[in-house]
Amino acid sequence: MEAKLSKASRALNASPIQEISHLAQRCGAINLAEGFPDFPAPPHVKHAAVAAIAADLNQYRHVQGICDLLAVKMKQNHVLDFDPLTDFVICCGQSEAFAATILATIDQGDEVLIFDPAYETYESCIILAGGIPVYVPLDPPYWTLNVDKFMRSFTGRTKAVVLNSYSPHNPTGKVFSKEELEVIAAACCQMDCLAITDEVYEYITFDTHKHLSIASLPMMKERTIITSSLSKTFSVTGWRIGWACAPTAIASAIRNIHIKVTDSAPAPFQEAALAALQSPPEYFSSLKADYVAKRNFLIKMLSEVGFQVHNKPQGSVFIFAELPKTCLLSDIDFVKELIEKAGVAAVPGRGFFHGDCNDQTQQSRYVRFAFCKSNDTLSAADQKMRSCVGK
Amino acid sequence: MDLRATRVVISSRDALEKKVNHVSFTEPHRISVFHVGLVEAAAAGSEGWAGRARSMPRLRRDSPAYLTPPPSPNHEMLSSFCFCRSATRRFSYPSAARMAAVSTASEAKEPQQPPPVLFGHYSGLMAQLGLCSNLTAQFDLSHHISNYQPDCSFIGFLGTHSTMTYFSSKTLYAVWALLRPYGTAWPMLKSYITVAKRLDKFKTTIFTQMSMLAVKHGAINLGQGFPNFDGPDFVKEAAIQAIRDGKNQYARGCGVPDLNSAIVDRFHKDTGLHIDPEKEVTVTSGCTEAIAAAMLGLINPGDEVILFAPFYDSYEATLSMADAKIKAITLRPPDFAVSVDELKSAVSKNTRAILINTPHNPTGKMFTRAELEQIASLCIENDVLVFADEVYDKLAFEAEHISIASLPGMYERTVTMNSLGKTFSLTGWKIGWAIAPPHLTWGLRQAHSFLTFSTSTPMQWAASVALRAPDTYYEELKRDYLAKKAILVEGLKAAGFIVYPSSGTYFVMVDHTPFGCENDIDFCEYLIKEVGVVAIPTSVFYLNPEEGKNLVRFTFCKDEETLRAAVERMKERLHKS
Repeated sequence: MEAKLSKASRALNASPIQEISHLAQRCGAINLAEGFPDFPAPPHVKHAAVAAIAADLNQYRHVQGICDLLAVKMKQNHVLDFDPLTDFVICCGQSEAFAATILATIDQGDEVLIFDPAYETYESCIILAGGIPVYVPLDPPYWTLNVDKFMRSFTGRTKAVVLNSYSPHNPTGKVFSKEELEVIAAACCQMDCLAITDEVYEYITFDTHKHLSIASLPMMKERTIITSSLSKTFSVTGWRIGWACAPTAIASAIRNIHIKVTDSAPAPFQEAALAALQSPPEYFSSLKADYVAKRNFLIKMLSEVGFQVHNKPQGSVFIFAELPKTCLLSDIDFVKELIEKAGVAAVPGRGFFHGDCNDQTQQSRYVRFAFCKSNDTLSAADQKMRSCVGK
Repeated sequence: MDLRATRVVISSRDALEKKVNHVSFTEPHRISVFHVGLVEAAAAGSEGWAGRARSMPRLRRDSPAYLTPPPSPNHEMLSSFCFCRSATRRFSYPSAARMAAVSTASEAKEPQQPPPVLFGHYSGLMAQLGLCSNLTAQFDLSHHISNYQPDCSFIGFLGTHSTMTYFSSKTLYAVWALLRPYGTAWPMLKSYITVAKRLDKFKTTIFTQMSMLAVKHGAINLGQGFPNFDGPDFVKEAAIQAIRDGKNQYARGCGVPDLNSAIVDRFHKDTGLHIDPEKEVTVTSGCTEAIAAAMLGLINPGDEVILFAPFYDSYEATLSMADAKIKAITLRPPDFAVSVDELKSAVSKNTRAILINTPHNPTGKMFTRAELEQIASLCIENDVLVFADEVYDKLAFEAEHISIASLPGMYERTVTMNSLGKTFSLTGWKIGWAIAPPHLTWGLRQAHSFLTFSTSTPMQWAASVALRAPDTYYEELKRDYLAKKAILVEGLKAAGFIVYPSSGTYFVMVDHTPFGCENDIDFCEYLIKEVGVVAIPTSVFYLNPEEGKNLVRFTFCKDEETLRAAVERMKERLHKS
């Protein structure tokens, strides 16, 4: 009966992160592996959802207000004009927005460039759409764009480039600089490709770094699809409210696919999204401040137990740390030990590298830690790590 | 070939304004536009563009440029470029002055010749591209553009309006190839070939079209298949509690364990089958996603899939996403029985799956045991899968619902799909599930994991409470719906429709021909405008729309007051011809 599976699905493998999660659960480990918060969602957003359910807003719906608010934000944050009536598609999470975008734009044999390291979700999606994922390795230790490798990855079949700076599918927390984005933009224009961005961490950026969307660069708006969601900004990863924002024609295609894949995002949470998107500026600034503190705490902890944190993440909630020089274990073995002995779970980095682009041994030297956890959790993890690691 | 006989406009106004400097011109004023695609809009000449789509000769379904009706007449771009025989449509071109201001900035790749005007019988172009047969609509556009510059050059730019006109790359290439000698701007054409071929078969949903008309005319909507009353309090409270309890983060991809076991318990109660909640149940964002995941995860490009027509409109589109070949067996009134002979001849060695929907939308038919046994034996004999969409299983009124998975030899080859929405009047929550043996579940989960990754967490908790509802909930649900059905059916009969018996779902199919309309779309438009009630024309639910032109679908998932009001309007205002 295995023969009944589609060829495409047979090409995909079970997730290594899931295995680690199961082990972590079995050992009751502190979970710094998964990228979702263990602290509650903001009350005003939850209240809005509760109110929506109670007010009988429970049938299929499309809440246009979300698009209106998003259009305003696009103008405010990026000086980009989008038409709220036609340029937004509300989906079940950024996951669906991305899947719908890929299904809407990628044909059999189209190539899609993905920057490495990256999580596998993009690849699976592209393969299932008949496309070919092409990995472009970023240069360690700072994960800088290697212009040469990048330009050489383009072929006549390249259809799109995926930018995952502000995404959980980017384990490094590296955010492209303006100069790097300009290079990517120029290449997209020259090769007439699309840019698909995953910006779920758009409000979780650090230091002086301001979230810069490639769509705001010259000539890019007409070829960029921006995907994002409520999940990380409002700590409601389980609500499945996301969106794609694109020029009208492409948005229309994405909407068509979305309608066939799920038809509508959960109704009461769409209503709650209105409240969320109208949060005062203080909400966003305190969100940032909280995460900066958490990031700094974790970096300090990891450095002091011997990890090499070359790249201070400028966005997202992950630290991609290299194992201590003295540690001879591979990333997987280290993580297993960490779970079993220290009771702290993290993610081995090798799952994020693809092809033989980087040095194989190099690829098994990284571990990804998440800091989207409550301060209590982080302190507890700190204690455990210090007592067990780097002895 | 005289291209003067052709006119092709493909553009969005935005694109025109912004892109026009990408095109090279020999002189100002030399601009024309191409328009491929409003064939369907044009010929009928009637106001309702949904009407146009049906009452005129269609492009062959297998044509590479399956074109779709234009969006709302209010759409800005369309009212600019839409051309049709009806005198009520106006053309407006980009103003001559604006065109005059266009510079000759870009370098021409090839020497420019003064290009001819393209206008007139674009059907000629379509025919010459081999893109359609039997297209009889002909019209002459010259009178429309006589006010503008008669000598134009080309902006060969292609775009789509905000909804639904898509052109396959093959079509675009063909158009470009024809026009190349006349100096079209190929780079511009290329920029717009961004949408995938899989969208060739996608079209505006009839539901949106009808809803818009309904709102415009204040009609009572018995078209859309979702309730205008809400779900039970105990389920809503469970969701609220889950949100308050902080169950707001990612759920396990295949479903919250509690919900998976509730699904297993319910399935056991309904079918007697024991299944594994971890390995054989996958929770999805509605049954819609279960169907999409099953198709993407289990169907290879080129596989044949058999559907029963009329079918829920998303099946066809989703199957085209998976690049499957569709064969449809028509269920015919009055009892919409399955023709076993037709089915036998449709099954071939390339058949991968049969999709059945029981209780059936839109006919209300419920597949009988005998029919299911026939299907089962064919599947076993030919090693074919079954995708069973059973969302209306609790709305089984006149017959017993049977899951084909429970028949001997069938569980191992069946994906059984269901959802919360219809049973609990919470269609917007998007909680669905697929039950399948482990090897099929695996494929489905692969697709699901990238389609949406996981399903709404608080709603899943509430769903596990819902599925443990006592039998009394389901009994009351049925009683309520039976009362509503009686109001509608009696009313439809009294109004003069030929009403076909519906054993399940909350839909009723009727024959509208006593009222003298040419087809279902015309009838539905008439019903909205003159009577103030919405029904859904069913021709969209067939591969060959002709088969549905006598039939429309009403729903009774509305409160009794609404149903009575609708019935009164129909009794009063519908006149037999």
